Amino acid sequence: MATVLIENLTKVYPPTLNNPTQVQALGGLSMSITGNVFVAVVGPSGSGKTTLLNIVAGVERATAGSVRALQEGVPARVGYVFQEPRLLPWRTVVDNMLYVQDRKSDRSRREAEFYLQMVGLSDVADLYPSQLSGGMQQRVGIARAFLVNPDVLLLDEPFSHLDALTGRSLRDYMQRIWLQTRKTALFVTHDVTEAVELADRIVMLRPGGTAYDDIAVDLPRPRRHDDPAVRDMQDEVLRRFDAMGAAVRFGAHA
Amino acid sequence: MSAAVPSAPEATSAHSVRELRRAVRRRWGFRLSVLLGWAAFVGVWYVVSLYLLTPQQLPQPHVVATEAGELLSQRDFGRNFQASILRVVAGFLLALLASVGLGLLIAYNRWWRRFLVNTLLFLVSVPTVSFAILSLLVLGVSPMGPILNAMIVTTPYITMNLAQGLTGVDRRLIVMSEAFGRTRAQMITGILVPASLLSVLGGTRLAFAVAWRVGLLTEVFASADGIGLQIRRSFESYDIRGMLAWALLFIVIMLLIENLVFRQLERLLSRWRSPDGGAAP
Repeated sequence: MATVLIENLTKVYPPTLNNPTQVQALGGLSMSITGNVFVAVVGPSGSGKTTLLNIVAGVERATAGSVRALQEGVPARVGYVFQEPRLLPWRTVVDNMLYVQDRKSDRSRREAEFYLQMVGLSDVADLYPSQLSGGMQQRVGIARAFLVNPDVLLLDEPFSHLDALTGRSLRDYMQRIWLQTRKTALFVTHDVTEAVELADRIVMLRPGGTAYDDIAVDLPRPRRHDDPAVRDMQDEVLRRFDAMGAAVRFGAHA
Repeated sequence: MSAAVPSAPEATSAHSVRELRRAVRRRWGFRLSVLLGWAAFVGVWYVVSLYLLTPQQLPQPHVVATEAGELLSQRDFGRNFQASILRVVAGFLLALLASVGLGLLIAYNRWWRRFLVNTLLFLVSVPTVSFAILSLLVLGVSPMGPILNAMIVTTPYITMNLAQGLTGVDRRLIVMSEAFGRTRAQMITGILVPASLLSVLGGTRLAFAVAWRVGLLTEVFASADGIGLQIRRSFESYDIRGMLAWALLFIVIMLLIENLVFRQLERLLSRWRSPDGGAAP
């Protein structure tokens, strides 16, 4: 069972030539995630959402505080789905998948093909990313994250660069795969609709990177965006955002 | 009166057949235009040699072609060609090695970037004939002259292209690799090398052509064999036919290397860029 423990996490970016003042992305954030749950972190721009994921993934260092992602007491394996697909353009789809695998064997290729099949892309394994649409590329990115058999799955607004219909279709894929694999997931988004559709729990961040609220989303799965219960929950989350007095308004899709 | 309206699949198929024919016509039209260009060049050559100059000043194309054919059948050609190409390739490989180190320094170190970019620009701006004369003065008649000159003159081209390729690598791909726990070696082979390969190849093509020119020019001044020396000997005996024949063979060799090596390599390395993934012939 995976655990993510975040204690007093602070990240301050020093001044640069372009931005002469220092920027606080995270200001002492504490939260913990235990077990196979899907946690959404929702907040306006500047609330340190992506920074949080990068620190959990180990690609950025915290200024203060700590993050521990553990699986049975040892460092957890992490899978990451980015805002953009981040595929290597000179590699075929299946080779992109294999790039994140430690061992290249027939078995790992079969595994890659299995996850491609899960995202409905079994027939594009030997194509190059430039031959795929944006939505298909992002599906490869999702399949790649699952391929490493992650203990903790990190998702950084993976649907934000897609049109509404493609985004909805990808959320369905994501929900389906997650229900089959039940990975501990930390999902960053500014879209309340996505958060309610996918998450078991929503952590609301305020600008400056501190937690404001923690909401349990106790709705049956699979969820549909037009389910009245889902919509009621979205309204409830939005009401709490209003109460937080967030400067940025979060739009839920109609 | 009734018009026959094709069904949708028929219309689509007819449309793609038309598109295909158009593409084939375009391709052949392009090839024909290239041939016409060459034919025009040969035509102008004939006109100049027949009406404006004497055969001693400019022999007619077929005379030069016959002479080149005769040179090809001589044992001397193989020996001289081998001597020239080995020197050029040796100089070129040394330049490639030097460029990897210099390119990395330029891409990842600000001080070295400042220093090396200016130095390389200086090297590019020095007339190649200066290097040829300098090598004669310093090294005398030696095979090292063409090798070193080819290396010195081509290094800036390859280095600058490599540095450009390395600095153009998408930083987000590096972050992706780090997030998935890839090692430094995996990032180098998986991202840095393939990302910079195409721009290196671009520089390499140009550099190889320059290496040939410089290598041969140095042979003209400071070598005991090679195509450059043969051109000089023809010049000394006022044998314009022989000089042009050697030059013609030199051009043919250049074109063969360009088309059979570099173009094929480029096609192979850039197949991911084409819409069909390089599947089309």
